Amino acid sequence: MSGHKDTMTDRERVLALLDYKKPDRVPIWPFAYQGFACVYTGTSIADAYNKPKISYEAQKKTCADFGWVFTPMLGYAAYGGWELGGEIKWPSGEFAQAPTVLRHPVETPDDVMALEVPDVKTAGIVPLLKEFYDISSKEMLPNEPFNVMAFGANMSFTLAGNISGPDKLCKWMLKKPEAAHRLLQLANEHIIKLAEYWKDLYGVDGVLPLGGEPTSANQLISPANFEKFAMPYIAEVNQKFLDMGYKHLYAHICGEHNANLPFWARIPQGNPGIISIAQEIEISKAGETFPNDIILGNINPAIIQTGSPDEVYEATKKNVEDGMALSNGYVFSPGCEMPPMAPVENIRAMSQAVFDHGWY
Amino acid sequence: MASEERTSEILDKLRQAVYDFEEDDAVKWAKTALEEGVDPFVATLEGLATGMIEAGEAYNRKEYFVPELLMCADALYAGLDVLKPAIDASGRTAEVKGSIVLGVVEGDVHDIGKNLVKMMFEVAGWTVYDLGKDVPLDKFVEEQLRTDSDVVGLSALMTTSMLAMPEVIKRIRAKNPKVRILLGGAPINPEIADKYGADGYAKTAGTAVDEAINLLKMLKEEEGRK
Repeated sequence: MSGHKDTMTDRERVLALLDYKKPDRVPIWPFAYQGFACVYTGTSIADAYNKPKISYEAQKKTCADFGWVFTPMLGYAAYGGWELGGEIKWPSGEFAQAPTVLRHPVETPDDVMALEVPDVKTAGIVPLLKEFYDISSKEMLPNEPFNVMAFGANMSFTLAGNISGPDKLCKWMLKKPEAAHRLLQLANEHIIKLAEYWKDLYGVDGVLPLGGEPTSANQLISPANFEKFAMPYIAEVNQKFLDMGYKHLYAHICGEHNANLPFWARIPQGNPGIISIAQEIEISKAGETFPNDIILGNINPAIIQTGSPDEVYEATKKNVEDGMALSNGYVFSPGCEMPPMAPVENIRAMSQAVFDHGWY
Repeated sequence: MASEERTSEILDKLRQAVYDFEEDDAVKWAKTALEEGVDPFVATLEGLATGMIEAGEAYNRKEYFVPELLMCADALYAGLDVLKPAIDASGRTAEVKGSIVLGVVEGDVHDIGKNLVKMMFEVAGWTVYDLGKDVPLDKFVEEQLRTDSDVVGLSALMTTSMLAMPEVIKRIRAKNPKVRILLGGAPINPEIADKYGADGYAKTAGTAVDEAINLLKMLKEEEGRK
């Protein structure tokens, strides 16, 4: 035990960081929005996505039990496949983690050119997102810096890939660039309508626009194609959010984006932005790349799942030491979604390491 | 019958067509190869497949990424479509280097990596039994037994689906302890592969074939010592 005593709530800690001040200790932003919270509270992973009330209560209880920042969240990485006219499958069975696209809205470049963005209010999961945000916006708890995590920023390229399937977007970038660009324009058209819808419903105070970019990682595309096809579209959407009055945006830079970082640095994220980095990116490198932003990261989720409690504790301690050495604001977080099936004793070890070593 | 010099030129055009992911050129030069009497086996192995191997090397050097490899594969298969009838008609069969059962485990539909691995094995002369994605665990066991394959390759991208891997490995080992098992996918690393009881780990599609060959060599050495 560290012998330190909390002098701030988690809400106050994050608000201090957003004001470029150091909190009493490192907050834990758990990236356990859906799957882990629902498994921990005894419901199903599918409930995390399609039963907003259950999902919200599961996240609230989980964050309270473990002493985490509560950022109520509903959304999924395959977003766009259903919303632009295709079909998804809810997670089922022992090993599924999230909804997946069963049928993409487009198959050919001609389909792309003919596609129109449907009414955002009834598109795919949007009615469920609204139901979730309606619940979350009604209270602001002491561990809650934002009560609406509005889906839409920092996800243009991944959304476009979900409309066509990432393999087709990859090929069209090289051989049918007009189709790739049109797909990205459609993605942005949808997101901007979504952003306007969220603002009409919830305003901007207490709202954090967010999204993630797994499909534009260098495990898939080159930095040159990130600069050409991902950066301008993400930047366009983010600037729209900021112009609408949102102060901070959240980006989950998902996967191995090291060669893309110079381009990420040119994408507006607010003052400060909140940058969640994957385990493939060094914390110090993230700090240098985003000197004015808050860095969230970045213990490897696989360690939380497969390591021993001692290994998880040591990996967390190292991560916290690296993060606290930054001049940036720093929040401890996994590098990607908390494994839904992670052993609870590992989760406790992770949290304890922050409680023991995260004091300023 | 093309001269040696002309044959060399055609093979180089085939190789280049694949490397530059020019599907139309791959078809054109495959047709030229047949018209001018180039052995379709040679056109495949020393032309198309060589281009794909070079593309895999460019991928390992981070000069090519997945889009480039996917397009190279399209050019490769377009050229093969032209050459394959002639290969079949010749009655000759290529030397098979090994056989592998491949699939993305149950609960996971992310198959781009698995498809690239499949293509690299095919180019390297392996017989590939591709089970696709979201594959029920027992299907891997059944397919390995049915085909008597040397290696089983399992892929997973999610932290939930990776949990299926040790269970598949256990079931395969129970039926056939000699099979070599190779893991790949974003959440996997060598330590986890070892912990799960696999024999090898491939970080990329480009390294999967080499890893599988090493596993087979180890298997043969073990058998030689018995």
